[in-house]
This record gives sequence, structure tokens and C-alpha cells, in this order.
Amino acid sequence: MQRRIRRRYAAERRFRVLGAGAVILSAAFLGFLLFTMVAQGWRGFTTTELALPIDLHAAGFHVERARLNTPAADLALASAGLEDAVENAATSAFGPDGATLIAPSAWTVLRAAVKRDPAILERRTVVRVPASTAFDRALAGEGTPAMKATVARLQRAGMVVRGFNWTFLSESDSTDPVAVGIWGALKGSLLTMAITFLIAFPVGVLSAIYLEEYAPKNRWTDLIEVSINNLAAVPSIIFGLLGLAVFLGTWEIGGRVFGPMLPRSAPLVGGVTLALMIMPVIVIASRNAIKGVPPSIRDAALGIGASPIQVVFHHVLPLAMPGILTGTIIGMARALGETAPLLLIGMRAFIVTPPDGVTDPATVLPVQIFLWSDEVSRGFVEKTSAAILVLLAVLLAMNGLAIYLRNKFETRW
Amino acid sequence: MSTAFTPVSHKMSARDVSVAYGDNQAVKNVSIDIDMDKVTAFIGPSGCGKSTFLRTLNRMNDTIPSARVTGEILLDGENIYSADMDVVQLRARVGMVFQKPNPFPKSIFENVAYGPRIHGLATSRADLEAIVERSLKRAGLWEEVKDRLSDSGTALSGGQQQRLCIARAIAVDPEVILMDEPASALDPIATAKIEELIHELRGRYAIVIVTHNMQQAARVSQRTAFFHLGQLVEYGETDNIFTAPRQERTKDYITGRYG
Repeated sequence: MQRRIRRRYAAERRFRVLGAGAVILSAAFLGFLLFTMVAQGWRGFTTTELALPIDLHAAGFHVERARLNTPAADLALASAGLEDAVENAATSAFGPDGATLIAPSAWTVLRAAVKRDPAILERRTVVRVPASTAFDRALAGEGTPAMKATVARLQRAGMVVRGFNWTFLSESDSTDPVAVGIWGALKGSLLTMAITFLIAFPVGVLSAIYLEEYAPKNRWTDLIEVSINNLAAVPSIIFGLLGLAVFLGTWEIGGRVFGPMLPRSAPLVGGVTLALMIMPVIVIASRNAIKGVPPSIRDAALGIGASPIQVVFHHVLPLAMPGILTGTIIGMARALGETAPLLLIGMRAFIVTPPDGVTDPATVLPVQIFLWSDEVSRGFVEKTSAAILVLLAVLLAMNGLAIYLRNKFETRW
Repeated sequence: MSTAFTPVSHKMSARDVSVAYGDNQAVKNVSIDIDMDKVTAFIGPSGCGKSTFLRTLNRMNDTIPSARVTGEILLDGENIYSADMDVVQLRARVGMVFQKPNPFPKSIFENVAYGPRIHGLATSRADLEAIVERSLKRAGLWEEVKDRLSDSGTALSGGQQQRLCIARAIAVDPEVILMDEPASALDPIATAKIEELIHELRGRYAIVIVTHNMQQAARVSQRTAFFHLGQLVEYGETDNIFTAPRQERTKDYITGRYG
């Protein structure tokens, strides 16, 4: 007897240790992931700039003042040789390899400065221009010894300026890692998610209501239930193929060509495809939530003469809402992180301008991460991690919203 | 079998009503008359079909797909199972109180106001408030909750919840109130309050109460119907049923031989 009791307590302790171990292990994995992402990604949010002294007047650079206020200003400045002037200034300021220290896009910074204040054309001034990727890498400790020496020299001269990388949050994709931004992909993701939500949520919830509250229980509804459960487990790339075939495909019927239904590479087609993908998840979660509403509430409402639709919308749906929202968020989180189906419908394009609407070509965060992770240039490594951090932040914000809504709808019994 | 009472025009009359769940015949050929100003009690052992029959009186059995009802039930001479009877309207006229108190997880006010609101009984907010107050007063709950109408209905005690459900039922001004073992989940004090309430409500509505507590039937009702195995065995004045039952089975039941 005593031995049995001791054995029972021992089993209890073992179980608790195992459980705690599992929790600690998963927390450690999560911590490791976050740590590596932050450690690599934080530099993605910073810029390295060089203080470039430049005297355009002395360099013989000349452009007509009158043209600076016209739409042709960019062209005028470019054809007057602003790019060369900037490179020459870099060479004279930073040494013989000066032109390689500044980013290829550096002259556009000066172009903007000149348009803002034409007085720069007449006098000596100091402009902060982005450093080249090679310089930036050397600053991170990854360059050739010569480049590292240059970095150290310029740092001593106080010419290296570090700051928060607003460009990263406001610009889109680029071939130059110091000039890339996440805004285009972020906006694409938000538009795609909006489309996904607007389609999947109402259709999914209404399907669940119909199946749970109205549909007769017979072989057909059983078949539908099995199909929905299977659809939830279908690999996402299959949905990409479906979206490609249905929304972007063309059909020839009677000599006339129909389609494609939706524009390629656009958040619209991506959103619709992802909506198809997460609809089963929403239907299943909503059905369970609706099933969980006690039948006595339905009886109570029916008993005082509520019509079935009033029972659903006044009583069942509000009580099922927390569960429905949880399921929806799980689905939306899955859609937000989805890459494979979007590759198939063309959302992996190189997009340098953020989409203005749901029909403009766009890319999304996970696809952008995928594209950057494929880049050869070392500068993209930290940008990839930084983009992952942005993706995680969006995910957290979405979950936070869901938890807030769930608590708001939660009923105290 | 049936027993006819005067007056001749009854509030509700069931004629040869049978209910089957699939192959299971739960109620067999029941005919019964229910009148205004009377409390009618249905008694009988568990599974005798009394609750099932009660639920046919406002078509709550419609929600069970396998239930099939035959025969006719008249409300003021109109068959409630006829095609042109509006179920929603019917349930507003024949209200129901359930075994387990089932207030909506909303405020006390909203619980009572819900029925009048969906039936459009109130034209203004003041009107609605008057209906809520009147209903809670009739249900004997007003004094206890008048200062916390915005509290959740589910925060009340079991007995209070059941009286709230009664207030909710009478807020839509029904003609008949069906009560399905309304006190079986309550303690003796709460039960006494419900019984007292049934007495007070008698003058306004026809009340039908299902109970498996014979003392309760004797206390609250004027007429008693005894059900057994899906059949209506005996129906008559409560005093007669309990003191001089005509059927052997009724006698066995009320003397506690089975049940």
C-alpha cells in the first residue's frame, strides 16, 4: 500500500518535470529564434551615412536656375552631370576609392537637396549621403582589410553618421541593399489580408451558420463536412495552382477567349486565393463555436417568438463570436505567413513602387523575405532579418487585436 | 380519453394528438382542453410524454427534426399546426418557461425587453421601460432588481433567474404560459416563491405546468392530467384526482406505487 502511494507520487513528479521540461524547451527555441532575428535584424533598421563635403560651383557644375522648378528638373540635373560631380566630390573627400564608398543612389540625395534649396549650387556645403553596401559591410566587420582601414580612417575623421533607417520603412524593393524598403511589401500584405478577410470571414461564418443551424443532417451534409475537413489539410501550394488556373487562366469557348478574371500579381488575386485557403479553417472553428452555444439559449429565444434568423443573429452569433474570432485569427495568421501559393500567382515580382490599390502589382512580406534571402549581396542578410521582424510585429499586432476583440465579446456567465 | 368542461369555447384544445420521434411513439392520441384562469398540471412518471406533449402546444418540437406530430391542437378554435399559422406569432401568444433557468447572458433589462422589442410592442423607450417594470412586478422580481437592471441576468440566484424567465415570457403579453418543471432545479424557498407567483398569474393567463412533484401539482393547480406511457390516463379537477381517482393507474401513481 505504502509503496503504491510512493509510486503514484513519483509518477506525478515525473510527469510534472516532463511537462515543465517541454515548456522550457519550447521557450528556449522561441528565445533563440527571436535572439538571432533581433541580433541580425537590428542593423537592417539602421543606416550608415557619410558626411560628404561638396562645392558644386567650384566643380564647374552649372544648371539653369529657372529649370529647377519645372518637371524637367531631374533630367536637367542628371544631364548636367550631377552624378559625376558627386563621385568626384567623394574621391576628393574620402580618397582615391571614394566613389566606391558611397551608394550608387547617393547623387539622388543631392538632387533632392538641390531642388529643395538651389543655393547649394553656389556654395560649399556638407550633405549626408548613404554609404555603399561594401562600406556598410566593412563597418559591420565583414569587409576586406583595405575597406576596414578606410572605415576606421573615416570614423576617426567623424565623417561616418549612423541613424535610424526611415528609408527601410518608407521605400520598396531595390537592387541595392542600402536603398531597399519594406513598405511596398507591407502595404501589399495589408491589402491582401484585407481582401482575404472580407471574403473568407463572411463566407466562412455564414457557411458555418447554415451547416450548424439550418442544414438537415444527412449524407450530403456529412459529405460536405468531410470535404471541409480535408480542404483544411490541403497543402497551400495546391491553392496557388487553383488560383492560377481559375483566376488567371484563360478559356477558349466557341472561338472566343475568356479571362483572365483578375489582374496578375495583384493583392486582389492573392487575397482571393488565400481566402479559399483559410475558409475551411474559419468554417471549422465557427461550427465548433456555434455548437458550443448552449441549446437552452436557443430554446429561450424561440420560446418568446424569435424567428430562427433572430435566434442566430441576436443570440447564437454573439455568444459564438470569441471562438469564431480565434479561428479567424489563426487562419489570417496562416495567410499572412503564406508564401507558396503567392509565388504561383505572380506576387514574387520585383516591385519598386508600393501598390496604390488592390489591382496594382504587389508583393507581400513573406515573399519579400523569400526574395531577399535569395540575394547574393551580403547587405540583404540583415534586411531579410529586419523584414522578418516586421512580419512578426504585424503578426503580433493582429493577434493583439484579436485578443482585444475576443475579450470584448466574451460573455460572463 | 378526454374530459369536457364548461365553458364550451376552450382556450386550447388538443384532439387526438400523437407525437413520434422516429419510430418511438412518445405521445399517443391525447385529447385535452385547457381554459383561461386555470392552472392545469401535467403529472406522471419520467418519460411519460408530459413534457413532449407540453412542447407541442407552442410547436417547440419543430426544432427536433425527427419529431412528427399528428392530430390537431386548437388555440381559440384555430389549428396551430395548419399551414397559415405563423409559428413566431404563436409562440408570442403561447409563452414558455423551461426546466433550467435560461436567462440570456445580457442585462436584466435586456432579458425582459428582448421579446417586446422583436415583436414591436413598444413604440418608445419609455414605453419599453414601462413594459419591463410591469413584467418584473408581475413576476415578483421588481423589488429585488430595480436598482440593478443593467446587471447581467446570469448573475442572479437560480430562483431569481427563473422568475426573470417568467417576466421575460409575460413581457410579450401571452395568453397561455407553458411551464416545463419550472421549479425542479430550485431550492424549497425559491420553489415556494415560484408557486406563489403561479397563483398570482392565474387570473391573467391560462397556465399549464408540467411537474413530477405531486404535492406541487396539488398546491398550484385547479386541474390535473395524469400521463402514463404516452397516454393521458385521467384528467379532471385536481381535488378529485388526488382524493378520488377513477383510474387504477392514477391511484397507484399518486399513492406512490411507481413513478
